[in-house]
Amino acid sequence: MALTPLKQLATLHRGALLTLLPPHGPLVCGSRINFLGEYRRPGQPRDNTPPWKKIRFNFAKGVEAIQQDLTSLKDEVFGRFVGPQGRTLKEHLLEQTFVQWEFRGPESLSNWIVSSDREIGGRSEAYLKLGRNNSTCLLYGTLCSIPPRDGETSYSGYCTVRSKQPLKSFGRKKHYDWSNFNTVHLRVRGDGRPWMINIGTEMYFSHHKNDMYNFFLYTRGGPYWQDVKIPFSKFFLSSQGRIQDNQHPIQVDKVNTIGFTLGDQADGPFQLEIDFIALCNDRAHTEEFAYELYKRNPEV
Amino acid sequence: MHSKNQIQEMHAALRWEMNLAKVSVEKVGSLRNIHSSSTLLKNEPFATDYGEKSEHKGEGDKSLVTHDDLFERVAQESRTKATFSRVLDVFVRQDIRRRGHVEFIYAALKKMPEFGVERDLAVYNKVLDIFPKEVFVPRNFIQRMFNHYPRQQECGVQVLEQMENYGLTPNVETKVLLVQIFGEKSHPMRKFQRLMYWFPRFKDMNPFPIPHQLPQDPLDLARFSLSRIANDLDAKVTVHQMPFTDISETGEEVSQPYVVGIQSPDQCHLLAKHNTSRPLFVEGPFALWLRQTCVHYYVLRADPLPPEEKVKEPVDPERCFFYPLELDLDLELDRDLGDDDSFNVDEVEEGPVFAMCMAGQGDQATLAKWISGLQETNPILGRTATVFRLESGPRELQSTAEPEPDLQPHHHL
Repeated sequence: MALTPLKQLATLHRGALLTLLPPHGPLVCGSRINFLGEYRRPGQPRDNTPPWKKIRFNFAKGVEAIQQDLTSLKDEVFGRFVGPQGRTLKEHLLEQTFVQWEFRGPESLSNWIVSSDREIGGRSEAYLKLGRNNSTCLLYGTLCSIPPRDGETSYSGYCTVRSKQPLKSFGRKKHYDWSNFNTVHLRVRGDGRPWMINIGTEMYFSHHKNDMYNFFLYTRGGPYWQDVKIPFSKFFLSSQGRIQDNQHPIQVDKVNTIGFTLGDQADGPFQLEIDFIALCNDRAHTEEFAYELYKRNPEV
Repeated sequence: MHSKNQIQEMHAALRWEMNLAKVSVEKVGSLRNIHSSSTLLKNEPFATDYGEKSEHKGEGDKSLVTHDDLFERVAQESRTKATFSRVLDVFVRQDIRRRGHVEFIYAALKKMPEFGVERDLAVYNKVLDIFPKEVFVPRNFIQRMFNHYPRQQECGVQVLEQMENYGLTPNVETKVLLVQIFGEKSHPMRKFQRLMYWFPRFKDMNPFPIPHQLPQDPLDLARFSLSRIANDLDAKVTVHQMPFTDISETGEEVSQPYVVGIQSPDQCHLLAKHNTSRPLFVEGPFALWLRQTCVHYYVLRADPLPPEEKVKEPVDPERCFFYPLELDLDLELDRDLGDDDSFNVDEVEEGPVFAMCMAGQGDQATLAKWISGLQETNPILGRTATVFRLESGPRELQSTAEPEPDLQPHHHL
């Protein structure tokens, strides 16, 4: 592993992780080298503070983190005796449906990150809260597609919610393994706007870190819930908002995050209510990948 | 389209002009002479006054001539497709070299929404037609290997990207133009190929399609949106009140807003079984987005039933003659996990929806007309209290557990 020292250097430079985790965390976790760097708004100076100044050492927090780590380590170790991933072998082999995310209680919202084009200087607002009967997740806000006047940004107007990267003990990355299933099943209620589902998977190379698999989620609107089934084969690869030429099917055993993005250029309030996000095995669906590839450089 | 001969002629003329311009630079060494030489050599004098004006202005200050000017001057008259394409014609005829065409195309792209031609494929093709043909086509492998005329290619890609953003699929004419301008393997051509790959796939993706041109009549719009959200083909749309404006004898203007409601037979049955001691709620307005337009609707609903009042309906045994739909056996019949396709989640407790409506005004008097109109088919509404829970702004779609105490119930008898 020639990359290891570089990797460690890069993880050291990521101050955000350091503030959240005890110092041993990021050195162990196999995060990637950050060649491209984080997004920096045009016109804003580069953050030149050295990484050691970003460490905010807190003894209580450290103890708490170590406690959490040890607890999850214990779960991992003893979960092995039950079966793979802490579930029985029968479940692991035979289950046809699996509810990955459901929103039953306030703690279920802590696994989600809401962001909007505020980060790039836009004016959209997005908030996440529980529905009034405390059993659904309500994403609401206002969309505003006026681009920021920084001279570089030409498009704006998005609101997005994304699930957090699941972590094992000591800050190691964990991936969802959905290889038993071939379809995402969502129960949503929107207001007629089209959304986009983004699935982020673990990639090997660092320049793939912005890669995502997307598909559209059309909402009907109205007071009724809507069951949406999207096969994995329909998801297409995109990177930084651009569909890629080389398409390949999603790797369902290394899924990190799922997200929902709104960016339909219709300024105004929006809302999306999610009941649950589940996976199912649609035995009638046999397609492996929906997007065929043509010869790359044909003689014209 | 230019034929091959025409283009070759144009090339010859262009080269000759360029030589002449070089000569004039060597002789006089001033920029003014290049401009004058080009105007002298113009083989086709332009007739429209826009062009003359622009040239006149151009001589006034040479340093910065924006092409927005041309559009702005035309925009004072009218902003239509005809005037837009006239501006493009003027620019094309002004100068055989199409000097400054990249800037002009960027300006044209920016002005397109103002002139209402942003969803017009013919106009985009016309904009692409501004590029001189065959000049930017790479001729040898070195040119092909490197980015040949990058500014022009970027501009061409930008035209295609604006088409993409407005959801326009390019046609064969676009392809022919791009091949003529940039060649077969240029960046704009690649962009075209990508568009042609993805757009037909995503074109009819929406399972709830919305036309680009929504109906202008509010009644038709209400009918369309209500049947969209009702999600039931049997649902019946009823116009409870037609809109009209009239001037009464006293001279006051009397107007009544439209009220359009929808109710499906299932909702009707549900409402007939409703417990009359529990109030019904008219809630709203809730937003519904149809592409760029937002409409609002109102819902007649009840609170979710408390668990002690829930009655399990016996399944009609005649619904299926072939196998029993219910088995009252006292066995531990555990279904095999591999056959279980249900989701292991709790149902969301929500009150039933009995009807939906859209109205021209969202006040209580207007919506009371809806309720009284519904009474004709649902006599139970006359015996049940109806509470109006209306808000001025759009609100989240939720069934509340407890009604707000400050609202007075409104009885219909």
